[in-house]
Amino acid sequence: MSSDFYTTQILPYAAIIIKICRAYTNTQEDFEDYYQEVCLQIWRSRDNFKGQSTWSTWIYRLTLNVCLTFLKKKNNNSQNNTSDLLPDEVLVDSKVFSDESLSQLYDAIKQLSEIDRGVILLYLEEKSYQEIADIMGTNTNNIGVRISRIKERLKKILN
Amino acid sequence: MEKSIETIWKEGFLKDDALVAPKLNDLYNQKSIDIVEKFKRMYKINRIAIIAFAILIIPISYITKMIYMGIPMSLLFISVSFIAQKFSKQLDNIDKNTSSYDYLSSFDKWVQDMIFVNSKLSTFMYPYIFTAMVIGFWFIDLNGTTGGALFVNGFISEFPNTTLVNGFPVLLLIPYFIIIGILAFFGGRIGRWDINLVYGGILSRLKDLLSDMEDLKN
Repeated sequence: MSSDFYTTQILPYAAIIIKICRAYTNTQEDFEDYYQEVCLQIWRSRDNFKGQSTWSTWIYRLTLNVCLTFLKKKNNNSQNNTSDLLPDEVLVDSKVFSDESLSQLYDAIKQLSEIDRGVILLYLEEKSYQEIADIMGTNTNNIGVRISRIKERLKKILN
Repeated sequence: MEKSIETIWKEGFLKDDALVAPKLNDLYNQKSIDIVEKFKRMYKINRIAIIAFAILIIPISYITKMIYMGIPMSLLFISVSFIAQKFSKQLDNIDKNTSSYDYLSSFDKWVQDMIFVNSKLSTFMYPYIFTAMVIGFWFIDLNGTTGGALFVNGFISEFPNTTLVNGFPVLLLIPYFIIIGILAFFGGRIGRWDINLVYGGILSRLKDLLSDMEDLKN
């Protein structure tokens, strides 16, 4: 990956990638792995971007896909492994965000299902229902109801 | 007043330094090491399996009264394991103190050499295995007589005019040599197919990674 491509095409959108990767990982090491993999996938798939959506929407979609795939692989590996590694809950980094409320919100988001995590992240990033539906591959009608349900659940967890 | 999740999200990131992107360092290095180490593990397991087979085939062939097949098969697999051992040492000697690209290129060259030698070896190996099997069945002990003797008797009663040399029907040499020829001709391909079956996934990852790194260099 050329540093030029990274600087001009990925780095301006790093915040998106970071926010999503944080929601799917528990440790700094995992987070960096996911982040690097997303960057690599963006670079590899750059020719597939046909301009049918904005570059940022495309990055959202790709980041979510990479995170979901990584998570699935990881779950499969942990099921198949009688590994001597510590379970994830033991490895959780104690402090990722200096803002206490944000930390709590992330902890709550991580308790959601993988898909709900994606939906709420996109909602919090002020994506329209249409964009959320496009990125998540569902229809717009379901999105509103789903977001309300997720927000209710988050409120419950946070309280 | 309690903050909404939208406010927590917005304000949290405004004052937080958690949005600093991690450095993209060592990615290829990690991937290279991962691929080579995985291959080494697979290659080691394969070598152990070959040695185990070379040892076990002797008692198995003795029990099944096909010792004339077991001995040449065992010798063959011992030889193959020595060759694999030699390649394994070469693999361990690949210089790790170079760039990821040079490291992977050296590994790729090693893989190509290994495939080349195995293909050449397969040209002889499959006809050899076939011959060992024929010999094994020919000399199998069947209640005091051999499989070959029974077969020749049956063959002569079907084809009484057949020419025998030292009690062996010459006509049988034709299909034998045809099969040997076919196995020698396709042996290299079978050998490559075999390697692909075992290491195909990892070799494909190696190819992709090298291609990525070549793009990066250009």
